[in-house]
This record gives sequence, C-alpha cells and structure tokens, in this order.
Amino acid sequence: MAPPYQRSPSPSQPSGKGEVSDVKSQLRQLAGSRAPGTDDSKRDLFKKVLSYMTVGIDVSSVFSDMVMCSATSDIVLKKMCYLYVGNYAKYNPDLALLTINFLQRDCKDEDPMIRGLALRSLCTLRVPNLVEYLVGPLGSGLKDKSGYVRMVASIGVVKLYHISASTCVDADFPAMLKHLMLHDQDAQVVANCLFSLQEIWTLEANTSEEASSEREALLSKPVIYYFLNRIKDFNEWAQCIILEMVSKYVPPDSNEIFDIMNLLEDRLQHANGAIVLATIKLFLQLTLDMTDVHQQVYERIKAPLLTQVSLGSPEQSFAVLSHLHLLVMRAPMLFSTAYKHFYCHYNEPFYVKKLKLEMLTAVANESNTYEIVTELCEYAANVDIPMARESIRAVGKIALQQYDVNAIVDRLLQFLEMEKDHVTAETLVLVKDLLRKYPQWSHDCIAVVGNISSKNIQEPKAKAALIWMLGEYAQDMQDAPYVLESLVEKWEDECSAEVRLHLLTSVMKCFFRRPPETQQVLRAVLAAGIADFHQDVHDRALFYYRLLQHNVSVAEGVVNPPKQAVSVFADTQSSEIKDRIFDEFNSLSVVYKKPSYMFTDKEYRGPFAFSEEFGNMSIGVESEETAASSQRVEASDKELLLNTSEKEDKVLSNNGPAYSAPAYDGYLDTAASQVQSDLVSLEPPLPSHPPKTSSGIDLLSLGLSIKPTPAPTAPTLKLNAKPVLDPNTFQQKWRQLQVSVSQEISISPQGVAALANLQSLLRHMQGHSIQCIASGGQSPNYKFFFFAQKSEESSLFLVECIINSLTCKAQLKIKADDESSSQAFSTVFQSALSSYGTS
Amino acid sequence: MLQCIFLLSDSGEVILEKQLTGHRVDRSICAWYWEHAMAQADTFKIELYQHLPAPVIASPTHYLFQIVRDNITFLACTQVEMPPLMAIEFLCRVADVLSDYLAGLNEDLIKDNFVIVYELLDEMIDNGFPLTTEPNILREMIAPPSIVGKMLSVVTGNSSNMSNTLPGATASCVPWRTTDLKHASNEVYVDLVEEMDAIINREGALVKCEIYGQVEVNSQLSGFPDLTLSFGNPSILNDVQFHPCVRFRPWESNQNLSFVPPDGQFKLMSYRIKKLKNTPIYVKPQLSSDAGTCRINVLVGIRNDPGKTIDSIEVQFQLPPCILSADLTSNHGTVNILANKTCCWSIGKIPKDKAPSLSGSMKLETGLERLHVSPIFQVSFKIMGVALSGLQIDNLDIKNLPARPYKGFRAVTRAGKYEVRS
Repeated sequence: MAPPYQRSPSPSQPSGKGEVSDVKSQLRQLAGSRAPGTDDSKRDLFKKVLSYMTVGIDVSSVFSDMVMCSATSDIVLKKMCYLYVGNYAKYNPDLALLTINFLQRDCKDEDPMIRGLALRSLCTLRVPNLVEYLVGPLGSGLKDKSGYVRMVASIGVVKLYHISASTCVDADFPAMLKHLMLHDQDAQVVANCLFSLQEIWTLEANTSEEASSEREALLSKPVIYYFLNRIKDFNEWAQCIILEMVSKYVPPDSNEIFDIMNLLEDRLQHANGAIVLATIKLFLQLTLDMTDVHQQVYERIKAPLLTQVSLGSPEQSFAVLSHLHLLVMRAPMLFSTAYKHFYCHYNEPFYVKKLKLEMLTAVANESNTYEIVTELCEYAANVDIPMARESIRAVGKIALQQYDVNAIVDRLLQFLEMEKDHVTAETLVLVKDLLRKYPQWSHDCIAVVGNISSKNIQEPKAKAALIWMLGEYAQDMQDAPYVLESLVEKWEDECSAEVRLHLLTSVMKCFFRRPPETQQVLRAVLAAGIADFHQDVHDRALFYYRLLQHNVSVAEGVVNPPKQAVSVFADTQSSEIKDRIFDEFNSLSVVYKKPSYMFTDKEYRGPFAFSEEFGNMSIGVESEETAASSQRVEASDKELLLNTSEKEDKVLSNNGPAYSAPAYDGYLDTAASQVQSDLVSLEPPLPSHPPKTSSGIDLLSLGLSIKPTPAPTAPTLKLNAKPVLDPNTFQQKWRQLQVSVSQEISISPQGVAALANLQSLLRHMQGHSIQCIASGGQSPNYKFFFFAQKSEESSLFLVECIINSLTCKAQLKIKADDESSSQAFSTVFQSALSSYGTS
Repeated sequence: MLQCIFLLSDSGEVILEKQLTGHRVDRSICAWYWEHAMAQADTFKIELYQHLPAPVIASPTHYLFQIVRDNITFLACTQVEMPPLMAIEFLCRVADVLSDYLAGLNEDLIKDNFVIVYELLDEMIDNGFPLTTEPNILREMIAPPSIVGKMLSVVTGNSSNMSNTLPGATASCVPWRTTDLKHASNEVYVDLVEEMDAIINREGALVKCEIYGQVEVNSQLSGFPDLTLSFGNPSILNDVQFHPCVRFRPWESNQNLSFVPPDGQFKLMSYRIKKLKNTPIYVKPQLSSDAGTCRINVLVGIRNDPGKTIDSIEVQFQLPPCILSADLTSNHGTVNILANKTCCWSIGKIPKDKAPSLSGSMKLETGLERLHVSPIFQVSFKIMGVALSGLQIDNLDIKNLPARPYKGFRAVTRAGKYEVRS
C-alpha cells in the first residue's frame, strides 16, 4: 500500500500531507498518556491511519509514533497496529527493529489469540536483518499448547523460509514441521504443516538431495493413507491440498485404487466445487489405465459436474464449464443427452454463454443436432449482438462436423432473410465455409446469396466471403460480373486488403467463366491492383497480369483449378496438447486451453514454488541460453549463421520460459518474431569492439542529432571475459551479500528505444564482459540480473538493474565480493549501459 | 497460491487491499484490470454486467481471479499455477462472509468497517493459503459489528469486537461446532427453498424446466445434538451436495441425512431435480409489427394451481434498442419503464375475477418497418408453503438432547431463471 495510487482522486479522499502530520502530533500526545479513555481515542486515530493507508496515502512517516502507542492491552488496537507494522516494516527496516520488542513480548502473552496474532505479525515483517529475532518465537510457537498458535507458527516457518532459507533450515524447522504433521491432534495444524513442507521441500529439492527425498517421502503410502483416513477432519481447503497431493501418488495395484476411490466417493457430493473438481481429477488420474473403470468414472462424475455448472455463481460455472469442455473433447458421448444443461439463460454473463455455446457445439451428434440448432437459432435473434454472432458461428461449426446438414443449411439461409446486418455478415462467412466442404449445396445457397445486396455488407470478412462466392459460382449467379464491377468501382473506398485480394481473385475466376462480360472489369481491377499501396495486393495483381500475358490457359489452371471438397478443417489444437492439458486437470491450463508450459514460467511450475528475489524473473533454461549465446558470439564469424539456426530451434523447442508474461495468445508468433529479431541483431556487436568506436558509423540512426554521452572516466578495472556462475549460486550470493552501491542513472533515449530487443542489450553487455543471468519484465519496466568477475581474481560483482523505459531511468543495485572495487565496477557498468543503443 | 486480494468499487477505485505473501502486488494491477474491463464493455457497447471479463484472466504480470458481488469486485492475483475453482470458491466465500458480517455489501459499509474486514481476511487466509471460511467459527473469533455491540460500547466504554475466547471448535473433532453451546430455548427450523429455472418457447412449450433446491437449517440447540432428517420421496432428487457435517453412509444406504449441525443458519444440502413437466403460471406474449409500430400484448394466468397463493409476480423485459418510445398499459398491477429501457410489470397476486394483461404499442426507429428481434420476458414469482418439486420432509429425529426441542418446517418456491421467449 506504500505507493500512493489514486486513479480518480475524489474530493472525499484527503490529499495526504496535512492530515498525516496532524495524526502524527495527536499520536505523540497519546503515546505516554494513561488517562482513562486513551484507548478509545487511540483506536480512532489508528483507524484513521489505517484508512489513509487503505486509500493509498503513504503514512510510513508515523511509524515510530504508532509503535510508541502500541503498548496496550486492547486487542483491536493491537491488531490494527500489527496490520500497520506488517505493511511498512519491509520499507523501514531500521524502525521495524522498534516493534520487535513488543511483538516478542506479545508472543509470550497468556492469551493464545494474542500469542498467535503477534507471531503472525512477527513473521510478516519480512525484514532480512530481523530473522534472528524470529527463530526463538517460532520455535516455541511450534510447541505451543494452543492449536491456534501452532497453526500460525507452521505457516510462519514458510514465511521465514522465504526471508532466509538458510536460517530456516539451520534451525531445523522442516524436521519439526514433519513431526507436527504426523503427530499433531489439530487438523488445521497438520494441514498447514503439509502446505509449508510442500513449498519448502520443493524449493530446497533443487539444491539438496535430502530435501528431494523428503519430498518423495510425502508421496509414500503411509503418509498418503495417514491423510486419506482422516480427510474429513480437515477443512475444505486443506482437503483440496490433500487431494491434489494424492493425485500425484501412484498406487501399486488396482485394489488400492478402488480403496481410495471408495473412500473419497462422497467428496463428489461436497458443497465446495473446488473439492469436487480435485476429486474428479484424482479419479480420472487413478483410472487412466483401466479403460472400463475410466468410463464408469465419467458416468459417476457427470451429475456432480452438471450440478456445479448450474448451482453456483456465474464465476463458478465458468470454471467448471472450462473443465467440462475438456472432458467432452475426450468423451463426447458423455454429455450428449444432457445438452439442455448448456442452454443459455438471458441473464447469464457473456463468458458463461460463450462456454455454453462451445459445449453445445461439442456435444452435438446425430440424435440431438436438430434440437440444439433450434435452440441456437433462438439466440441468433438475441438483442445481444455478440451473443447472436457467437451462436451463428456455433451453428456453422455444428454444420461442419455433421454428416447430415440438410436442416442446418436451411436454418442458415433463413438467417440471411432476417435482414440484420451482423447476422447476415456472420452467416455469409459460414455459408462460404460450408460450400467448401459441401459443394453439393451450392445450388440452394447461391439462390439465396444472390439476393443479398452487396451494399448492406460492411464487415471485411463477410464482404470477402461474398466476393469469394461471386467468383467461385460466377456461372450460377446471373449478375456476378456486374456485382463485381460495382465493387471494383469502389476500390478506392475499400480499406481492407483482404477484401481487395479476394476481389482480384474473384474477378479472375469470373473472367475464365464468363470472359466477354468480365473483360472490362478485369482490366479495371488489374490496373487498380497494380497501383495499390498494399504490397500483397500489388504483388498479386502484378502476378495475375504477367500470368495472363504469359499464357491464359496456364493462368486458368493456377487461378481456377478443379477443387476437392475440404473434408476436415484444420483443428486448432493437436490431440497431444489436449492430452497435456488433461494431465493438468483442475489447473489454470484448462481455463486458458494451453498446457502450462505454454504460459507459466518454468519457475512457477512447481506447486507453489517461487523464490524471493526472482519473483518476476525467469532463470534456469533462459540463462543457459544467454550463456550459450554469449559463447556463440565469441565464435568466429563463419559459424554465425549455423549457430543462429541452432538457436532458432532452441527457442522454439524450449517453448519460451523466457517470457515471464503469460503470452497465451499468439504465443508462437512472439517466439517467431523474437527469433527473427535475433537473426537481425546478431550481426553488429562483436565482443572485442570498444563501444565508442562504432558510434559514428550508423548514419541512419537518429542518434546523430543527440550528443553522444560524455566519456566516462577511464575504467581501471579489468573484467574476466568469460565468467561462470550458475543461477543457484547467484541466488545464494545475492541473499548473502550487502548492497554496496545503489544508485539511479539515466539512459539515453536511443538505448531505451533499443530495449525492445532485450537480446541485443544482453549481447551488448556481454561485449563489456558483463553477463546477464536473468531478465524479465514488460514495457515499461524491465528487470535484469547481471554478473561479472574480476579478471585475475574470482571475486564477483552482482547487479540488479531495473529499467523504466518511460522515465529513461535505471535503478542499480550492485553487490560485490570485494566491496572496495564495487565503485570502479559501477563506473564500468554505467558506461557500458549508457553506451547501449548509441553504438 | 493467492498473493493479494483487492476490493474494488463500482468505479474501479481500490477500497481495500490485502497482501498475502512477501511478493507485494502493486496496485497498478487494479488499474490494468479496470481498463481491461472497460475496454471489453466498450467494444460490445452493452451494459457492463453482461460483458464482464471472464473470471480468470491473465494480465501481463499476474493471473487474476475476480468475482463481482453487489457491484464490488473481489480481485485476487497469483503468479503460480493453482486450481482456478479453488480461488473462485474462496473469493465467493469471502464475499458471503463479508456480506453476512456487514449485513450487506457496499462501498460505504466496507470503508466504515475495514478493520473488521482486515481481521476477517487475516483469519481466512494466511500466506495465500485459505484457512477457515466457516462463518460459525469466524463469528466466535471476531464478533460482527452488531447494533447491540455498539450499544454496549456506549454504555461500558469497551468497544472491543474481539471475543476473548478462542474458538473451541479448532480443538473439537467436529470443526464446525463448538463443544459447549447453551441455548435457553432449543429450536430447530428446516426450510425447503426451491428455485425454478425454466425456458418456455414462443409456442408456450417447455424447453427446459429444472428445480434447484436447498435445505436450509437454523439450529439453536444446546450441547452436541445428533439429527436425522428423512424425506418422503428422496428418489426424485437427481443430484445432491452436502454440507461437510452430513454423514455419507446413511445417505447412501437409505437416503437419510444424518448430521451434527453447526450452530445457527446453514445450508445443509442443495439438490437438483430435472425434467419437470409443469409450471405454475403462464405468460403469453404476442408481438406484431407493421409500418413502424409494434403492438404488444402479454397475458398472465395460472396454469397449474399449486394450492397456495402465487405472490410477487413480476414480468420484466428489455425493450430492444430500435424502439423509440413505448406506450404500455395494464389492467392489473403497475408498469414502469426504467432508464435502461427495461420494462417492469409488477402484478403481485393474480386477481380472481380477471386475467392480468399488458398491452400497448411501441414506436420503432425511423426506417424500420418491422421488429427483427424478439424480447425475452423474465418472470419472477414466489409461492409460500409449497416446494414445487414435490419433495417432502418426512421426519426430523433429534438425539442426544436433554430437553424436547421445538421443530419448525417451512417451504418456499421462487422463480429462478424463468424466461419466456416471444
């Protein structure tokens, strides 16, 4: 809440400064007072401070006064104080020390509630310097006689782990948690221990053998059965965690599978949808290799799923429907009789309706198509235009997947008679697709399509579809050449290139079928096309022109070959991907219809694994890649081409852990464009080039108008050109070392502009013997972690660099093994960074 | 696991923010979300409500879950993979608990009571991991801001809303109930609350008709009572969902609900009954349009008398955008056309002597001869004393209770998503 955030400051919101200082002085007065009623006035003041904080005003300046006032026995006051301290401690580590005292005292209070609350706040301070004060209270918290305190402490351990993993492990907390998990009476304590241990061991498993074997041990039979046998003691959320864990357990024989399923069958009747879905996932996973039972499971889960769809809020329906859609792809027969559940109600939000339409399309088969299409036709007349469009598309999709399209074609043609522009537009696109698959229907369709006035159609896609039909069925449509002619006359007003392209082709087709009538138009369209500004249109027109010049019959063969009906339209998702998503049932993957490797960072793929400093960043594979590319740049010029193609493979096959943003749409496009930009940018920078020599060469860049940045003082520091550091060591070092230099520098506008290509920056820095280990972020904020090594010694420099491309500023934090040379390194780093983009 | 929860007002302003882990989520995510939501509503040019962004979306930095209740957006962020329904269920539970505590949900209520909201969130979720969401337990830890509490604070000067005891339930083997409850009068009320969802096509035929019902129990019983509820005709239930207190085995073997109830009001069971054949009332809309005017006539009457009075009948429909003006009158009840072009006809009870009808004419946009869209009529009603599905409660048996309790049963059926096409 620290950054003041006000989108629309309303008059009721105080501007901040005056009020804060006002509160400050009042707090100061109250601090020492013992008069009766002090608590009440304190409460009012605290409330005020918190409300400022909630609104987004920075009230960190009253920190010390708040702490002074915190000596009280009133528990609400305490809670408010804890809340405040938890919020600002991270940014006032020195002041936070003040609070330690009273928090530690409260941790020994008689009241378990206060002990618990104090311990929780102590753990949420999240100040690395203060971890030493945390270990004692946490340790006694884990042994407390009150379940409430143990519950808080068991979660506290994982908080401590995130502040300082080594302290947590050294104090032997994981082992204590494990003991509690297996022996505590209180179910909530057990659940919290499980939650914490999963997170700690997953993160530790990267570095420690022991931790990874402990993590394995969580999935051993005794532990799994221990949890399963008392699953009803746990609250609903803990049950979700346990079910998720059990789904990773592989039972050795089928008897065990049946035991587990019998034990958990009633979870399908639970009021909490999250539990129902977790159970379903478990059942499906368990029976994957038992075809018959798998089918029975489908039958069993059908009713609970349908109940979930209809009973909950629209948001819950949405999440359940996404899963249903996945299931129906694998077992289409499953819901084919329950199709009425997917009928849309008028009041439902669009996101639910859209998924329901997808379900209706997916469950349609010979027996229910008629009714489903009838229902969809109702929606086409809907007041809600997006809904009407989607339902027409759904009718089209059903038509394309059915063998008997007789009735559907009639319905589609009726849409054309409704005389509503958006309906007509959508329908035209569908009729076009339909004709490509079922050319035998051309007669009926063309009769209706011929009646449509092209003037009423504005949408490019629809226009293109109509033009395509005019060309394809020119012999059946009486006035096709004349309609085309009128369209060509308006060539100048047509802003969609797609329409112009179709127009070119259709006129060509028409010409081959009815040459005398079309000759004029053809001339006009080719002239217009060749003069067109759009490259594709221009090229195609020129191509047709030359083709006709060359040989008319060859041209006919090219433009108008005999076509085969399309039997199957390319499915958007491969079955492999569907399987992957299925494995990730009950996860975000299902909602996005992408397996998680396509949208989450590798870092995050573990259950709850993310590490403190690298929260937003991607390391691991990506850093290997940059390291690899750094070697590659040093390779001789001859090999460059070869290496880039290798890199292309690599980028594609890694499936982009490099993108920390969830690029779930058009993901491959970005990858491809990234590759392209890599290909381009590989040429200029060679590692040995000093940055300044090339600054004058690039005449085309705008850089000339701006003075080159003043030459920095000659760096005396020599850096190792090929330092080696793996991400884990980096992380460890980053945690251990103190910040030795922290400053803000400006970057030249050219540098910021060139940031669009992160790879080139990284390569530029490599040219200065500074290696990037992790990068991430999205415009305008980029974050980088760099490192470098002295040439003679092994001493390392670590840099965190946050660049804001709007303000052209970079925040540097440098940590060094040898702090005496960190200033010199900072100069080197700055000169390297500021020369970026100008070279 | 969740990293942060925001509460946004209906203008996109952050009312409250609760960071859950060390990974602070910047408030700018809310601005991103709000712009995204507005852009979406803009492209569709339709009311925001119908075109909210999907409940699970990806922002450039986080995955967002959101639910909207009473114009308050509950927004949660995460960067890790997690079960989406778990996040959404949790947010729903937060919204329920808050509206229960604050006796409603709006911006002012939250701002006035934000300390309580923080306290609640503190107990409901820790480090992004949901803990207790059971209202009964929460109420023991944090007292709701009741009027009595305010009175007390004026009199005694002590306005702490914290109860001094820790919930005993955390130690009991029945997590939803404390061990030593005492009530002066032992009472238990069982309500059958049913909602009828139906779609009726323009020929008056039922396209779909289902009932979603709930067994709501209000238990004010001392000690550790054991209840068994049996139905006369459990076979009509298509699917059921239970409160965690219900034991599964007795249900499986003879369809009895056996349970130790939580204290106070709770939802014991939800059920679904499909393929119903009858609706209690009919609504017959007729529209005919010609030469730029559309004549409308809607008739409402009883189709199958449920044996009790049908009350609060209301017919609502959206006037299509192409209608310029409408002149509508009814022979019974009141007709209102709201600012957003919704026409609302409240009928109340159907009189004995006449069939309510609404008629009138609507002027179409110039240039439009006929009406191309057909409005959908949404119907609401309420029938006290009847569960339209026909589900009957046979018996409620209470064991383990010293005194004879008072038992009360009620039933009510309401129209849910009940719509008639024209």
